[in-house]
Amino acid sequence: MVSPFAWFKWVALLKDWHVFAEGFLMTAIVSASALGLALLLGIFFGMLGASHWKIPWVLTRCYVEFIQNTPLVIQVFFLYNGLPYLGVTLPVIAVGIIGVGVYHGAYIAEVIRSGIQAVPKGQREAALSQGFTYWEALRYIILPQAKKVVFPPLTNQVVYLIRNTSVLAMIAGGDLMYRADSWAGNNLYYGPSYVVTGLLYLILCLPLSQFARHLERKAEVSA
Amino acid sequence: MKKMFVLLGSMVLLASLVAGSCFAVASDSPDIKAIKEHGVLRVGVKVDVPKFGYRDPKTDKIDGFEVDIAKAIAQKILGKKSKIDLQAVNAKTRGPLLDNGEVDLVIATFTITDERKKSYNFSDPYFTDGVGLLVKKAAKIKSLKDLNGKKIGVAQSSTSQKAVQDEADKLGIKVDFLSYATYPEIKAALDSGRVDCFSVDASILNGYLDKSTMILPDRFSPQNYGVASKKGNDGLAQIVNETINQMKSSGQIDKFIKKWKLK
Repeated sequence: MVSPFAWFKWVALLKDWHVFAEGFLMTAIVSASALGLALLLGIFFGMLGASHWKIPWVLTRCYVEFIQNTPLVIQVFFLYNGLPYLGVTLPVIAVGIIGVGVYHGAYIAEVIRSGIQAVPKGQREAALSQGFTYWEALRYIILPQAKKVVFPPLTNQVVYLIRNTSVLAMIAGGDLMYRADSWAGNNLYYGPSYVVTGLLYLILCLPLSQFARHLERKAEVSA
Repeated sequence: MKKMFVLLGSMVLLASLVAGSCFAVASDSPDIKAIKEHGVLRVGVKVDVPKFGYRDPKTDKIDGFEVDIAKAIAQKILGKKSKIDLQAVNAKTRGPLLDNGEVDLVIATFTITDERKKSYNFSDPYFTDGVGLLVKKAAKIKSLKDLNGKKIGVAQSSTSQKAVQDEADKLGIKVDFLSYATYPEIKAALDSGRVDCFSVDASILNGYLDKSTMILPDRFSPQNYGVASKKGNDGLAQIVNETINQMKSSGQIDKFIKKWKLK
């Protein structure tokens, strides 16, 4: 038999390297933008989720529970094929950024909320008694302490986020996974295609997860 | 005495080996033997292409032109056409399933190309189809020419992209391609306006025709469908090819084509 990893298949891949380079770039752009959106949403809703105001708290729970308990694939499919029926046709890159950003925003909100709540209650009470407002107490007293608890799981979220941008492959998003699928689909040289794609994702994610471990160790030492 | 015994033993062994290999030529190659031992022929077919390979949601049975061909091959190898084990494949899974031995054959609107022949054994073609274009009636598109600057949805692992691109180059028009993993996804993208045209082999398009859509008369680059098997299972490839050619000359294939109203 001809191995799925036969040499001529690797040669074909090298010849078409730009296909994978374009996909890699798209994945990097979508990841970075989605991360920005996810952090914004996550920090905002994380702080609201840790607050004691009823309505914002309910809103936050709705957002987090809805997003966490439905598959990302469905959310993205709806953004892509559902919204056009309502007259909103987002470009596919926007679908990627919004879909993945909103999805991970919910997870990051939970990370931040639990980080804030991990800071002993006395810290906030002490701050409030000294005349800090709620937001000042958060900014100067609580968040600096929560940071240590929050960083490692936060970096993990970044890694998940990068990997999850591969849902774009489903909606012809032009990302790395899509390029790999299409390329392998045309010539059926799927062996090298998926090995190289896996390695490219590894290149994106490994430094970040190493960074997370570094932060984790630092947090342990200082705690 | 012991030496004698060893010598005798090895001679017997050698003789049986020679005889065995002679018989093998006369009867079965190892890949055919393996299928006979297994007792069923495992065939990858489509389950979402009406008339070719389609799972009827009411009866849960897979049936179609290509399933009939699978049965005929099972009849030839195992003597009984019921001895088949059908597995659903799509354009993306059919290659890997052959490679890892999950299926013996793939009969799934699999277009023969030179590139693919490097990885798999293909039989002679049993059906020839052209790439077609499905568009919305409301879009007022009459031919490929009207698709200038439009987006065309194609299936991953399909040859239609190249076929349409070549034709578009001839006409001097520019089209963009978006590829999706499954046909229903392309149809969803056509319905939602993400693509202006759904382009795969015309026979497959038939299954997605509805009130709001129509198939244009254009047909591009004939696509020859072949039965694929793993490289190395050459005995199997040979039997399959013989069967296909016998069916062609005996008119059996034409009968099937008529039965399924393919032309």
